[in-house]
Amino acid sequence: MANIDKETIKNLTELCRIDCTEEEQISLLHDLQKILKYVDQLEEVDTEHVKPCNHILDANIDATREDFVGNIMPRDVFLSNAPSHTGGMIKVPPIMK
Amino acid sequence: MHNLSAIEIRDKFLNGELSALSICQTFLDRIAQHDKEVGAFLSVFTERAIAKAKELDAKRARGETLGKLAAIPVAIKDNIHVKGEITTCASKFLTNYKAPFDSTLTTLLESEDAIILGKTNLDEFAMGSSTENSGLQTTRNPWNLKCVPGGSSGGSAAAVAAKFCPIAFGSDTGGSVRLPAAFCGIAGFKPTYGRVSRFGLVAYGSSLDQIGTFAATAEDIGLIMEVIGRHCRHDATSLPGGPEKYLEVPHDIRGMKIGVPKEFLKTLAPEPKKVFDNALERLKQMGATLVDIDLNLLKYSIATYYILATAEASTNLARFDGIRYGQRSKRATNLHEVYNFSKEEGYGKEVKRRILLGTYVLSAGYQNAYYKKAQKVRTLIIESYKKAFKECDLIASPVSPFAAFEIGAIKDPIQMYLEDIYTIPINLAGLPAISIPDGFSHDGKPMGLQLIGPQKGDVKVISAATAFQKANPEFTAIPKTFKD
Repeated sequence: MANIDKETIKNLTELCRIDCTEEEQISLLHDLQKILKYVDQLEEVDTEHVKPCNHILDANIDATREDFVGNIMPRDVFLSNAPSHTGGMIKVPPIMK
Repeated sequence: MHNLSAIEIRDKFLNGELSALSICQTFLDRIAQHDKEVGAFLSVFTERAIAKAKELDAKRARGETLGKLAAIPVAIKDNIHVKGEITTCASKFLTNYKAPFDSTLTTLLESEDAIILGKTNLDEFAMGSSTENSGLQTTRNPWNLKCVPGGSSGGSAAAVAAKFCPIAFGSDTGGSVRLPAAFCGIAGFKPTYGRVSRFGLVAYGSSLDQIGTFAATAEDIGLIMEVIGRHCRHDATSLPGGPEKYLEVPHDIRGMKIGVPKEFLKTLAPEPKKVFDNALERLKQMGATLVDIDLNLLKYSIATYYILATAEASTNLARFDGIRYGQRSKRATNLHEVYNFSKEEGYGKEVKRRILLGTYVLSAGYQNAYYKKAQKVRTLIIESYKKAFKECDLIASPVSPFAAFEIGAIKDPIQMYLEDIYTIPINLAGLPAISIPDGFSHDGKPMGLQLIGPQKGDVKVISAATAFQKANPEFTAIPKTFKD
């Protein structure tokens, strides 16, 4: 089916925002080519009149509730895991120069 | 004491024979003495556990009502939150992340007076079948320390097999509880999708994940399910109702029809086939009838799973970006570098592989060919099972095509993925399934029998497994090194 190449991997790493070394990109290209070749077997399955599965359970689950303010995570608890914060806000490096 | 079941430990505490402190100390001492060989635990909550044990002894002395799991020591896979403790997901990304809330699992366990001993090792973000992808440490199989314990919940399985605790918890997305249970010679149960709350479980494949339980016996798992198998309002996919009764039902499979997908299993190698055929024979001796069923479509399960699970994972892991939590790269000088470098430094190879693959199958131009196609094949797999369950009450299969392999033996990702051929389809269909020990390889490594039920057939599965273990006690053994 689809052919992926070095360019595809480069685009994917940019989409995912994961930096990968040249060596890693070559290895990932090799792996993804093998995996995609393997999953191509799904073409053998006739799914012309089949609906995609969006709910695996037969049960009808109504997960809605009344709109009220419940337990809120205190800000200081949330910020305790932030790599950097100031004045109650998460601090990040500049978005652009 | 460490060879007692969870139910026996609880009962001896309740009747005054054992103190919670002595129970807790016994298992903490075993971990301190022997876990350096196994590597099951990432963190041990010594102070917290002892404090809880002392509290339970005081409660008992005051004559207060005690919980259903009173004094039972448990271990929890380190992708499930315990408030105030680190949840690493075995990733360098999260080595400093303190869980700001309890998972529903933790809340329920503690409200019934279980004692949480610590967090166990896993494949990073639950992606793997051997626990070799952990970014933090190696876990070894207590049956053969050169071998893997299976994955991704290898730490929890090893902990129970080595008798570091009678109960442990894992997560199962494609077999990550059932496979390590089989490799480690213990029982491991994955509930019907939605039966146990996923609130506080770090998501990998949201339509596939379930929290599973490990124990030496299915009966102990039944006790646990009477506590955790219930609706949770924090989990939008949680099944209504529950918990059901697992212990007071008759454990009897006489007259039961057990489906065997002979055609699908025809590639099984001679040794696992011999063990499986013997298990089938035992089921017949116990009064069940075997029925041949058609599940040939399951041969497409791995391809279906690796498209859907990686797609869901690419979305679920997008949150780990170094902004709000986790290890932010110190090299980053602008926002994009925060994302790129933090992920590059934080993630292991398998995680990167799966995120990239998941992104690809969802990307414009390929979504129809891959993701939507896999969604359709999933529908057909679910229908295959529904059709099969018209002919039988439960389905039997092996858990794995082979027993535990040596650490480092499988390097090819596809070869590793193929290990999950018998466990993956069950997650695609949201069915309950258990792995129980049913024999050994020629070199003494445990193997597992898988019993699978229809959706919401959790009680039936655990009940049949309990009956099998009671009728065939020789399969539930303890590795020599860890018996004393």
